Amino acid sequence: MADLRLLFVDDEVEFLEPMAERLRRRQISCTTAQSGDRALEALKQEQFDCAVVDVKMPGMDGLDLLRRMRQDYPGVPVILLTGHASVELGVQGLELGAFEYLMKPVDLDELLDAVRRSAGQKAR
Amino acid sequence: MPEPHKNPYRRLRGQMFLVLLCFGLIPLITIRIAGSLEYRKAAAARARSALESMVKNRKVTVELFLEETMRQLELLTAASSVEQLSNPQFLESLRTQMQSRGVAIVDLGLLADNGRHVAYVGPYKLQGLDYSSQPWFEQVMVLGRYQSDIFLGYRRFPHMIMAVKKRQGGRDWILRATIDTDLLSGLVREGGLESGADVFILNRAGEYQTRYSDEHHLMEKADVSPIPLHSGVRLAEERHNGRRELVATVWFPGDSWVLVARQQVPGQSGLLDAHSLVTWLSLLGLVVVPVLSHVIARHRLKQIQGLEAERAGLYESVAQSQKMAAIGRLAAGVAHEINNPLAIIQAQVGVLSDIVTENPDLAHVAEFKDRIAKVEAQVERGRKVMRRLLGFSRRVGPELEPVNVVAALDETVSFVEKDLEASRIRIVREYGSDVPIIRSNLAQMQQVFLNLINNALDAIREDGELRLLVRCADGDVVVKVADTGPGIPEKDLARVFEPFFSTKSGDKQHTGLGLAICQEIMRGLGGRISVESSPGTGTVFSVRFPQEAERE
Repeated sequence: MADLRLLFVDDEVEFLEPMAERLRRRQISCTTAQSGDRALEALKQEQFDCAVVDVKMPGMDGLDLLRRMRQDYPGVPVILLTGHASVELGVQGLELGAFEYLMKPVDLDELLDAVRRSAGQKAR
Repeated sequence: MPEPHKNPYRRLRGQMFLVLLCFGLIPLITIRIAGSLEYRKAAAARARSALESMVKNRKVTVELFLEETMRQLELLTAASSVEQLSNPQFLESLRTQMQSRGVAIVDLGLLADNGRHVAYVGPYKLQGLDYSSQPWFEQVMVLGRYQSDIFLGYRRFPHMIMAVKKRQGGRDWILRATIDTDLLSGLVREGGLESGADVFILNRAGEYQTRYSDEHHLMEKADVSPIPLHSGVRLAEERHNGRRELVATVWFPGDSWVLVARQQVPGQSGLLDAHSLVTWLSLLGLVVVPVLSHVIARHRLKQIQGLEAERAGLYESVAQSQKMAAIGRLAAGVAHEINNPLAIIQAQVGVLSDIVTENPDLAHVAEFKDRIAKVEAQVERGRKVMRRLLGFSRRVGPELEPVNVVAALDETVSFVEKDLEASRIRIVREYGSDVPIIRSNLAQMQQVFLNLINNALDAIREDGELRLLVRCADGDVVVKVADTGPGIPEKDLARVFEPFFSTKSGDKQHTGLGLAICQEIMRGLGGRISVESSPGTGTVFSVRFPQEAERE
């Protein structure tokens, strides 16, 4: 399988780094960003097949970032990831155009599956 | 020792019984007493007037009798000469003649003015006796006619006489007759008397002038208070032999005799007169009212208990529902705080896992793998708990679709069939043929089935029977999952639906949320879940799905 370029956005570095490392071990080129602003910067410089975005972040939160990305980078599917358990939030995210809404702690295989599906959809 | 929680009901029943009893008996008794008093009053009035008229009638009868006798005697005296009257044969013929005409005389005698008995016919040996010293002799000589009281006289036997003076040949003669006292007595009592009544004649001295079998004897002093002279009929009430009696008296002309009639005041036999229909009805009431009161009190109490139980059940279910919602809200509030650390642990240990997998030659690699797996399992456990808790806060109703309950159950069973073979558990299916397709939610229904079946299998462990029962009940579908496990102790039975309550222990991990979730789901589907268990025999969980789940 061809390498996927993934942008992983989460303010929690303790979570972000090991996740990125695990994804990289699975042939996924993973760029990390600890805030929405940094994610937008990364998006300016690189092309991504997919973005995994934490919903709850200080400053620009996941939903704001999602809105911006749907506007400026509609080609990059967004998978929302959250420790929150609000159905309303999930529905809102999907309405805003998120590809998938996953709950932390997420099973790695589940995440990989979602990532690949989103990238595959984009390819089509 | 009585069960303390039953006491309030018993007391309530007692109170209800008493109130009903009072409502039934008080009017009954009041009416009975009032009626009885009214009846007594009326009866007394009636008795007074009856007694009064009786006394009048008897007095007239006796008067007529005496008058007639006297008149006959006078007639006889006037019509016969002294010579004739001196002849005993003539006297005897007169006596027979009079007796045959119904005049009540016993004997006849002619007295000379010196008081000597000149002639006599009758049962006594009185011929030749001197009557001049007798008190009546003087009277008849003066008044011309005389009627005596009852007295003993020469014959030493109570009797009564009538005497008439006849003047012939310059001398006075007296015709004397003894009156049949039995006839007089009979006249007074003629026509019979009511029970408890008595009629008699007394003289001024209060002595009986009439006789009545063994009860009163002639000339005996009567047991009555002295009767003053009065005109007309006098009515009085007095106590006699412990009973209230009505006494009517009337004096005969001449005031020498008084007719006395007395009768018990009616209605003294008490409230309960055995012959009265009212009495029987009242007695019936006394029996029926308590019985009815008891029956009604019992019935009402049962209704109250039913309502109470229903209310308690409702309260419990509301309380349970609120508890679940509260847990849900709490879970939603802290979800982020727990899920994030869990996610970090999972990610970190994931890296470790990756490293170990990539370096199989590391020392203690097996132990690393083992311990990593354990950490991952615990993360998974925490994650599940959070997911389930969060489920409580969701209020989104399930999508409804046509569901074949039997098929849904069978499909669920197929998930666990492999486990069954391993643990030698037999499945017994009892499916009704009339189970309808209902509108419900398949996924949620199966979640309930899976939970119940898993619980049943955990309870049986090995070697046992899992009974699955599906039948139709009034259009609803009832599913029963029965196991042959050890059963649930009674003290735990009420708590099995509480969140975090679990009787399971040991190797398997349990959140204690399974049945709580089942209950939530059943509530959401408009159905019910219930449990029956007898320790030693097993446990039966019943779920009832309505024909069409109601949307919230």
